[in-house]
Amino acid sequence: MNADEAKTRMLEVQRIMERATLFTLLPGTPAIAGGLMVLGGCAASYAMFHALDFADILNVSPNQQVLFCLMWFAIGVMGVVIEAVSTTRAAARQGVAPADRPMRVAAFSLTPSVVVAVVLTAKFLLPINAMAWKMLWTWNFNMPLMPKAEEIQYIVPVWMMLYGTGVYTAGLFSIRPPRVLGLTFIALGIFTLLCFPQYGVVAAAVSFGLLHIVFGLYIVHKQRQTVVR
Amino acid sequence: MSEHVKPDDIDAVIHERVRLSIVSALAVSPQLGFGELKSMLGLTDGNLSAHSRTLEEAGYIVVEKSFRGRRPYTEMRLTPKGRRAFERYLATLRQIVDRGEST
Repeated sequence: MNADEAKTRMLEVQRIMERATLFTLLPGTPAIAGGLMVLGGCAASYAMFHALDFADILNVSPNQQVLFCLMWFAIGVMGVVIEAVSTTRAAARQGVAPADRPMRVAAFSLTPSVVVAVVLTAKFLLPINAMAWKMLWTWNFNMPLMPKAEEIQYIVPVWMMLYGTGVYTAGLFSIRPPRVLGLTFIALGIFTLLCFPQYGVVAAAVSFGLLHIVFGLYIVHKQRQTVVR
Repeated sequence: MSEHVKPDDIDAVIHERVRLSIVSALAVSPQLGFGELKSMLGLTDGNLSAHSRTLEEAGYIVVEKSFRGRRPYTEMRLTPKGRRAFERYLATLRQIVDRGEST
């Protein structure tokens, strides 16, 4: 064996160890916490406009609309923070630095689709179109600029599909459960978009809520099995 | 380890590519199921079975078979002997790379 072959072998070993490490870094508890927060958010949304369609947010007062947006924004931020803190702690326990390749791979896989989802959400919620630019250009804010109900209905399925894509991609560098989670999100997102966009509250509760809880429980169970032995 | 790496310094059991993959994965996971390893390393059932048997015979891994409900479940973990062999193998690779040697 020469030096080049040895170097190739070492790189192979490193890749496999990273892939296996990702399994033990999978965020089980944060997924459960995130799922519970989403279920709380869905319950609060339903209490706010007494409907299962997120588009009904258009029928409540502007103050409630702002409150609604802030609530979901806070849930999203808290979910990311909890996951980041938990994963960093798990990494420290495993002797992996937060900026190590496995964690960067997971973060970079998820980021593009989340960015696209944020942009689409902004576009759906704030109809950023020619009219909006004209308003800014002429500094005349008397033009109507209401989001359309059907566009608001797209937000949940779009998030489901894009989040699913990100999780699936991150899962390509790890084991099967994240890939299954990603594909389930994509399938549920397509189903919601095509068949039941008017039941966004239910779709969010089932996918981002229950699915995350089930996934989290599965990962926690698997990791406990691993640690107990 | 001696000054220069000799062919005998390379552990033939671990040196085989698939077996090295198995040992590398088990080195960072206290234990892994047969299905998890198969999926992680992209191996077939037969391939993983054959190589894990060789590792087990060498005393490098422990293969435990049990049932989950009615389904058989196989899991593997690295033994202390296997970990030492893996660390020795990595040290040998490092030595070859650092000194630009060949065996």
